[in-house]
Amino acid sequence: MVSINYSSREVCCKIVYYGPGLSGKTTNLQYVHAKIPGTTRGDLISLATEADRTLYFDFLPINIGTINGFAAKFQLYTVPGQVYYNATRKLVLRGVDGVVFVADAQPDKMDENIDSLANLDENLAEYGYDLKSMPFVLQYNKCDLPNVMTLEQMDAKLNPTGVPSFMSSATEGTGVFDTLKMIIKLVLDKAKSGGGPARPNASAASAPSPGSSVSASSSAAPAQSVASAPTATSVATPPQQPDAPEVVREEVHQVGTPASAGTPVSAGTPVSAGTPASAVESAPVSEPASEPEQYRPYPGSQSQKIDVKDKKITPAAFTPAGDNIDSETPLEKKVVSEDTTGETSETDSLKSPIMAPSLKKTAPRKKRGFLKRLFGVR
Amino acid sequence: MADDSLVIYEEEIQQLESLISKMLKGCEAKCALLVDKDGHLITRQGFTHSLDTTALAALLAGSFASTKEIARLVGEPEFSILFHQGKKDNIHMSLVGDRSILVVIFDDRTTIGMVRLYARETSVELTKIFEQIKENPKGGASTAISDDFANMAQDKLDDIFQD
Ligand SMILES: Nc1nc2c(ncn2[C@@H]2O[C@H](COP(=O)(O)OP(=O)(O)OP(=O)(O)O)[C@@H](O)[C@H]2O)c(=O)[nH]1
Ligand SMILES: [Mg+2]
Repeated sequence: MVSINYSSREVCCKIVYYGPGLSGKTTNLQYVHAKIPGTTRGDLISLATEADRTLYFDFLPINIGTINGFAAKFQLYTVPGQVYYNATRKLVLRGVDGVVFVADAQPDKMDENIDSLANLDENLAEYGYDLKSMPFVLQYNKCDLPNVMTLEQMDAKLNPTGVPSFMSSATEGTGVFDTLKMIIKLVLDKAKSGGGPARPNASAASAPSPGSSVSASSSAAPAQSVASAPTATSVATPPQQPDAPEVVREEVHQVGTPASAGTPVSAGTPVSAGTPASAVESAPVSEPASEPEQYRPYPGSQSQKIDVKDKKITPAAFTPAGDNIDSETPLEKKVVSEDTTGETSETDSLKSPIMAPSLKKTAPRKKRGFLKRLFGVR
Repeated sequence: MADDSLVIYEEEIQQLESLISKMLKGCEAKCALLVDKDGHLITRQGFTHSLDTTALAALLAGSFASTKEIARLVGEPEFSILFHQGKKDNIHMSLVGDRSILVVIFDDRTTIGMVRLYARETSVELTKIFEQIKENPKGGASTAISDDFANMAQDKLDDIFQD
């Protein structure tokens, strides 16, 4: 879903690199991250396992500059290719505007490529998307290896509709930018034809132009003379600049597997009367060890507090614009009553509750079914 | 379905922002982000300057999405609130309508109860604005993606990618 913000004046599109495990999706993003100017990209974030396999996604935001007064931004994601991770793989596709399929061009990987492509089709269908109308580019990777299949051979197997396709070597950089340029072109072409000028956000927008109508299967461009495999890790970290998203920090966050990443938080920390007993006790979002600074919005001791000095905070005093808040029930009371709707004891028995239940009607009976399902208790 | 782009205009952003900043003052939280479920940042308020809000938005949306999936697997329709507790900072996330997430970052100057209360009331108001956005697409506004947008983007990319 292309997002157009007339306030911050930016156009933002989501591009997902899909494909079987180890085909080189992450390496594509690492190459782009390493090779484009720091001013045009943000951090590369990798949610990976200890063994550097993608666990959830990699994320690289790029900002190619201002076009007609709008900043053109693209968010590049990869999925985890391993068959096992289909649940998270599917989630990454939410709201996708264009897909790059990174296939492994080694002959013995063809079955995996075919399975992964079929899986892409299925997962898109679950969101109601159709690969045929989706901006889509194929990349046949690892062409630096001996005995890989040719572009024609790969096309014959994977590209019946003749979408743009490229041979590539993500480690050396061959074809990486060509692929990215092509998918960006297709995404923007579609965004243009999809949202008409008169009603840019009409959901009944005109028929999507079939992304697959572009049938130029061009061969890969010659390798940009590039030094050996750049991995994005461990570039120096300059001081953080106070200037959010455009700011570029030369570092890569590596968030490990859940087991290793987080600092467990003691469940006994007093929070407040209003704390739902079942609130998620999860690791802090930041990585406490490496960069506590980044998540301290009040730099130094000079905290600028909002003007609340002596103000006594009473929830009832707060009425957000509009007046149809249920004025008969004092807000405070509402909260209290909700907190006592039986969320407590049930979930307390779950030693480390994983998530907060919906505030609405969490009937104890249902919870029991929940536990049963979760632990197989009868 | 992939075609219903989210288009937000200046005045709507201002409405969203004023609600959120009112909420921040009310509950004394540090900052708040409004993120759509696809991981795009819609707007932010409060002390966000030292935060990489682009990355945060993507991660928070990912976190929300996986929690939602967990909910489905255990038979809950959706967990509408997600709370991360840290040593200093805590994060409270709640659904706004069907498409956005309100993220509030706060420390021990306030309490989860406070944040939850204000976030919930604010969500209701934010939802109304999003419904307004959905119902009344602005006509005749200059469109962001002009005919030559894609071509100009290609030129930019050529500049960026030459090395
Ligand atoms: N020779 C060669 N090796 C490559 C190329 N691209 C990636 N690799 C290697 O293949 C391995 C896997 O690459 P990744 O980019 O991590 O693969 P992935 O597709 O992200 O894998 P998952 O995260 O498991 O889905 C790494 O060891 C890369 O160095 C390439 O073009 N040529
Ligand atoms: Mg990977």
